[in-house]
Amino acid sequence: MNLIGNLCSSLCSNLEGDAKNREAQRTIDAAIRFPLLSIFKASIVWMLIATVFGLIASIKLHTPGFIEECQYMTYGKVEPIFWNTLIYGWLFNAGLGCAVFLLARIGGTPLKQGVFLTITTVIWNLAVVIGVVGIILGDQLPYKWLEFPSYTAPILFISFLGIGLWCAMAFRARVQRTTYASQWWILTALFSFAWIYSAAQIMLVCSPAQGAFQTLVSAWYAENVFGLLIAPLAFATIYYLIPKTLGIAVVGYRYTGIAFWSWILFASVAGTAKMVNGPIPVWVASVGVIATFGLLLPTTTFSIQFLGSLLSRFSKIWDTASARFLIAGVLSFIVTMLFKSFGALRGSQEVVQFSIFESGVNQLALFGFAGMVFTGASYFILPRLLNKEFPSPTLVDLQFWAHGMGLVLLCIGSISGGIQQGELINGSTADMLAVVNTMRSSYFLASTGLSFILVGAIAYNVTFFWMLLSARSKKEASTSLIEEAPELEYTAS
Amino acid sequence: MNRGPFIFLGVFTILSLTWALVINKPIQETGHLSPIFDAEQGGRLPIGIKGGAAQGKLVYQEFGCIACHTQQVRVAAGFDLERGWGERQSVARDYLDETPVLIGNSRLGPDLSNVGKRQTDASWHMLHFYNPDITSKGSNMPAMPFLFETREIVGEATSRALKLPAEYAVADGYEVIPSRKAEALVAYMKSLKVTYDLKEAPKSNDVMSEELSVALENAK
Repeated sequence: MNLIGNLCSSLCSNLEGDAKNREAQRTIDAAIRFPLLSIFKASIVWMLIATVFGLIASIKLHTPGFIEECQYMTYGKVEPIFWNTLIYGWLFNAGLGCAVFLLARIGGTPLKQGVFLTITTVIWNLAVVIGVVGIILGDQLPYKWLEFPSYTAPILFISFLGIGLWCAMAFRARVQRTTYASQWWILTALFSFAWIYSAAQIMLVCSPAQGAFQTLVSAWYAENVFGLLIAPLAFATIYYLIPKTLGIAVVGYRYTGIAFWSWILFASVAGTAKMVNGPIPVWVASVGVIATFGLLLPTTTFSIQFLGSLLSRFSKIWDTASARFLIAGVLSFIVTMLFKSFGALRGSQEVVQFSIFESGVNQLALFGFAGMVFTGASYFILPRLLNKEFPSPTLVDLQFWAHGMGLVLLCIGSISGGIQQGELINGSTADMLAVVNTMRSSYFLASTGLSFILVGAIAYNVTFFWMLLSARSKKEASTSLIEEAPELEYTAS
Repeated sequence: MNRGPFIFLGVFTILSLTWALVINKPIQETGHLSPIFDAEQGGRLPIGIKGGAAQGKLVYQEFGCIACHTQQVRVAAGFDLERGWGERQSVARDYLDETPVLIGNSRLGPDLSNVGKRQTDASWHMLHFYNPDITSKGSNMPAMPFLFETREIVGEATSRALKLPAEYAVADGYEVIPSRKAEALVAYMKSLKVTYDLKEAPKSNDVMSEELSVALENAK
């Protein structure tokens, strides 16, 4: 448990008084305020954009006449724009924002070169914009989650190297030498993404592998974007937010190492499971199936740690916005992993392969798990960064419930709808038109879910910009609003 | 685990080993296939796509048709053969010339590996792209009217103009002409067919047992 103690003592190296600790934290926060706000600005706007595109794509499935005349908005363009803005726009920025805050706070020192971070993230976001425009103009690549035209890849990669370099330097600059799980996960995410992105670009675009094997690389990459980029950033955030919002150490923290290494091992292979019955050697897909099932090991550890911690302070969850988002995210994570692991078995893939099941599980993983966790973290970080109160707690509640309800509808529509679709397509010779007809209600349900999430995204944007633009009230200007209770900083170790 | 380099090295080792195992190894072992020359089946196999069809492949990619259509046939699972989507398993050699490959992983619509065999009629495809309702009532495939030009008939009607059924007809004195993109896309659709056999490609159980019995017969 001494790591937890170290984490906390890193934030306030002595306990002379809250005011003094808060003063130290404010210096740390002030050093990263500008880059962090620009990162969160980008992430929150991208969330809105991604949800709008997702909704358009979803509506097009049950009402194909929707925006039909426009050749820039075909389903085949809107759908990849949705996934790419969701990942590289919203979740990447949100995860990076959390990572920067965590590195600064856990490291316990004001970080330098914020301008460099700002510039690199601005370049990253410009590259995402170029990518979206490229897809609209018809330059998309046919690889899952790598649809951005090839000319955006160098910009994305170089700006990412800049971001990664800054984070590595930030990690090095830490005052508290003992590290905490959050830091491991952040380092992993940054390093892995540089690796998988460059490997995928080289093997798909620069010197492409032979036909069928491009699919293998693409499946490997897409699963790794979740397993080695988005999920690690979310884990980092959870490991930090649990002690912070609940005032307890993470239950069973000593098993973190097992979960960490086994997750990386299994997640880095899991993607090939998608290639079952495809035109590549059978054993490759089998290794993937085994690895995906193996992910249940770290998932069990995470579940015990996260749920054990959250449920032991259940009453706090309803009082704290961040903790509420956190538990929703953790529950989504567990459900996602169950679907992923059992859905990868050959027997299940015979039913659900090529259906919307997979996109449903991905939506649960991204909107539910990562989205909820990062949103919760932003509700923890923003008031501290700005020293302002939420302009309207009702809006925060609205976002939580809209996002949560939307997620449930979306999952019923896509996951159970996907199983139904798979049974019809893979398990019968039913006419495809009849399948489309049967699926219409599921598509409709998914659209309803996405509309709920859109309401949540609007509430999130309003909260954020209202908070950003409003002048500080007298109370906010004169005092520190954040009264970090000592029990939140120090934990029984 | 208090040192950055330790975590870095650990992650690096795991990632490079797993990459070597599941990506590099299969590509090194089986990813350097070459085409087969078989005079009986029409020369070089696979038969690549050329000319207008190759242009059409770009259109297919541009509009993201891959979001709903796969181009792979599975034998071991599913009802791909029964649905008439193909006669044998798609194998790596079939995709030899494809860069980028358009295999796809979502079947909101039917598989297209052999659509050129199922629908040989170019005008069917034209009508289907202009408005899928004409050919497949109730489909949720998006119409692509922007691939066509509705223009006034000057003098005689063009022979390329779509022959629209009465309820979808445009105003009198107007006709719908497919653009170059539409024609390329149709050429691509018609080129999508697997007309040759490969030794390594499994077929349905019935066909396989039949072939086996013939081979046994010959051996005797």
